[in-house]
Amino acid sequence: MKSFFGKVPFLALAGVLAAGAAAADTVKIGFNAPLTGFAAADGKSANIGAQLAVDQANAEGGINGKQIELVVYDDQASPKNSVPIANKLIGQDKVKIGISGSYSGATRAAAGVYQAAGIPYISAYAVHPDITRAGDYVFRTSFVGEVQGRAGAKLVGETLGKKKVVLIVLKNDFGKSLANGFKEKAALFGITVAGEYEYSIKDRQFGPIVSKVKADAPEAIYATGYFFTAGPLVNQLRAAGVTVPVIGQEGYDSQKFIEIAGAAAEGVVITTSLDRDSKSPETSGFIAAFEKKAGYKADMVAASGHTAAKVAIAAMRKAGTDDPKAIRDAIASITLQASTGKISFNKLGEVRKDVQVQVVRDGQWHHYSVISDDKLLAPPEM
Amino acid sequence: MLAFELFMQGLVQGSIYALIAVGLTLVYGLLRILHVAHAGLFTLGGYIGVLVTNATGSLALALLTAMIAVGFVGMALYRFCYQPILDRPPYVALIASIGLFIAMEEIFRIIFGPYGLSYTAPPLQAPIILLGMNLKAAEILTMVGALILIGGLGVLAGRTRTGIAWRATVKDPQMAESFGIDIVKVRYLNFFIGSALAAAAGVMVALLNNLVEPTMGSVPSYKALAIIVLGGLGNVRGTLIASLALGVIESFGTIYLGFLLDRDAIAFAFLILVLMIRPQGLVGRSNG
Amino acid sequence: MVEIIGAYQVSLITTMGISVILALSLNLITGFCGQISLGHAAFIGAGAYGAAMLTTAGWPFAAGLAAGTAIAAVLGLVVGLASLRVRHDFLAITTMGVGFLFLGVVRQQEWLGGEMGISSIPDAGLGKGGYMVLVVLIAAAIALFSVHLKRSWMGYAFDAIADDEDTARMVGVDAARYKLTAFAMGTGLAGLGGGLYAHDVKFIAPDSFGFIESITILSMVVIGGIGPVWGVIVAAAVLSVLPFWFQFIEEYKLLLYGGLLFAVMRFSPGGLAGFVAGFVAKHKRRRAAAP
Repeated sequence: MKSFFGKVPFLALAGVLAAGAAAADTVKIGFNAPLTGFAAADGKSANIGAQLAVDQANAEGGINGKQIELVVYDDQASPKNSVPIANKLIGQDKVKIGISGSYSGATRAAAGVYQAAGIPYISAYAVHPDITRAGDYVFRTSFVGEVQGRAGAKLVGETLGKKKVVLIVLKNDFGKSLANGFKEKAALFGITVAGEYEYSIKDRQFGPIVSKVKADAPEAIYATGYFFTAGPLVNQLRAAGVTVPVIGQEGYDSQKFIEIAGAAAEGVVITTSLDRDSKSPETSGFIAAFEKKAGYKADMVAASGHTAAKVAIAAMRKAGTDDPKAIRDAIASITLQASTGKISFNKLGEVRKDVQVQVVRDGQWHHYSVISDDKLLAPPEM
Repeated sequence: MLAFELFMQGLVQGSIYALIAVGLTLVYGLLRILHVAHAGLFTLGGYIGVLVTNATGSLALALLTAMIAVGFVGMALYRFCYQPILDRPPYVALIASIGLFIAMEEIFRIIFGPYGLSYTAPPLQAPIILLGMNLKAAEILTMVGALILIGGLGVLAGRTRTGIAWRATVKDPQMAESFGIDIVKVRYLNFFIGSALAAAAGVMVALLNNLVEPTMGSVPSYKALAIIVLGGLGNVRGTLIASLALGVIESFGTIYLGFLLDRDAIAFAFLILVLMIRPQGLVGRSNG
Repeated sequence: MVEIIGAYQVSLITTMGISVILALSLNLITGFCGQISLGHAAFIGAGAYGAAMLTTAGWPFAAGLAAGTAIAAVLGLVVGLASLRVRHDFLAITTMGVGFLFLGVVRQQEWLGGEMGISSIPDAGLGKGGYMVLVVLIAAAIALFSVHLKRSWMGYAFDAIADDEDTARMVGVDAARYKLTAFAMGTGLAGLGGGLYAHDVKFIAPDSFGFIESITILSMVVIGGIGPVWGVIVAAAVLSVLPFWFQFIEEYKLLLYGGLLFAVMRFSPGGLAGFVAGFVAKHKRRRAAAP
């Protein structure tokens, strides 16, 4: 047993030596994302988005003269993997800042490690409310589920003027927190919830729910989910003759949604972070550069990965030092125009930005409206 | 009216389960192997269906290609993966099969990408009004297709020489061998037919969802195991009943029991209940 | 400790130690007593949830861990009682059902955190290095216990049941009692491992205790040779860190993992231990193997 454990530090030493030779004058940013397993598609987008931000910054001369290296590890969206990875990034790769391109569980678990080590950590798109509550070194560049759910209520009740709504809820932290935010503000916008049905992330066949929704005869459907669940859902709703508006969120935000739902995708409206028709050079430049680099169209996850990396780089430039505390303070006070809009952080480390509303028209995502309501969209402070 | 629609939706889902589970129960009946990787063949069928349809525009051709190609892959699986370990304890094949299934899912992801594939022009999406309810043409095809395929299987097994040899082998392999039946040939046939049915199910699921993904087999694989136990392992008729019943129960459960239990847990709640009352499964099998 | 070998190694060894505990716990049921379980994650989850709920509510770490162990053992006893009615393949599928049912129920329980899981699980208060030492010591203790058990009267009874239950019954072994004992011990230790996992990662959610987790633990036992204590320990230790060693070819990690599981069963069903034993005593074995 002793000799077995004795080998481990030796392996580590070899690893450090090998890494040390190559990394003389680079600054390292840690990155964990699911590159295999069920969430691999999102992990890939986030990874390319973040790498794009790093490439762009390196082309501008890096951080204070040093080139940036993104150190990427696969966590399979599992907390079991993300904890050792966080330890590896901090202890072995000596990153000065970490980014999560992963889902909630993995991000929440890793956040504790970063907080304990006093290294800043930015979650690109994970929604679990407890992530930033890990401590003052943890930030998030995307909306918590509740905030976006509230925006959804405003979109449905005020912008679209629909009052009788059915909820179709994905049973995980993402889908549930969105639905909670929606229900919390539903009454404020005069919405009555005529029915609420849950499905699991593995479901692709919604026949029974579609039948029930039809019987409920709502004016609109607020359905939480990801493109791979929402695509079949919208397709099946339309095929069954349900024609009322379907309102989604950033989980739909992918060209793949339109591919799966086909003609049924037309007219679907979502709340998200990426405005396809943005006049901002930051956003339009990102959309073009991402498609060139990745070979497919940019989505919300890609933009979030890009934004998180951009925040990390800007903060390190601003801090002008390797000191994690200085970098943390720089993030906390940053105001930045990124691909997902103009962002800043509140006391808890939650992002403040506008909600973009997009609609599918002629098989493409397009601008629909913007919700900028500071009070409604105020992220939690503690 | 709603109850009727839920019932019909349950039948659609049940037909899919049936197409998958029949192959699984056939393999079990003949070889006493819990063939988890069967669901990998289902996924492969879905991919071939989408790829061939997109390339040629013909769904019929795609269905045929998928069934034949996957049938041969199933035979190869038997020859190279299961045959050498048949005399080992049953868990050996079970665990090998699980490993194989995980590896297959990964191969799909590496070859076809993590995003899954869709039809460029999804066929059979037109709504058809049947008995006052809107059904997608694909949903009707699923039910009718399952009926034809499994009915055809019944005819093959009951009315032809091959079928009789097959059934004899399932019942008593040693006896069948002494009557001059080529058991190895029967096993190949068994894998071919079971795999082809799974491939057909894959093509139909692809039609219903307009999406095939590397992981689309993971839920059916384990649920089908529950189904074949409920149906009495190796019993085709029992498996059909269990498949359709589960489809219908899940359909109602999604709407009325959602707060209590995950849809995917319903099958297993029944499974445990039934096994506690009747350890031989719902329909039972003769102790042979 | 942390300063000498680094936070990453400490974290890896902790992960490794927990995997060894979990694999040895399943080995009591599957390896020693011959009862295939495809639902071990349910008991890991029961222990993790039990311990985490209690320490989050203010209980001391040790008390929470002990309570988690007890909860898992009680659940294991109930499942064990039910499992007495079924054997072989039926048992495998029943335990798989228990795993799915456990998840299906936990997902819907808001008081258990539902889909959100439990975050902010308090620290055990031992420091990273101290926690690693605790985990390794517990793993070592369970290993010693396993070795001792294997040589005891109970170990022989387990062997007899694993070998041929009917014959064991015929010679007067109370199979039901021994099977229940194996279930209670194995699931209790799984609960202990679950509690240690919860306080290592400090965040648990239903997805962490799914079917894949059951299969992962089972493959450690299987690749270790189903029974041999050292084989299972090595398999658990190596397999648990394999994903981290294989980072450089991360695209193909799961493929390798599945492929390995298949290959071991296909080419060396005795697992690691069988492979080594076969290698050492090749000729002897060849003579003995003729039926």
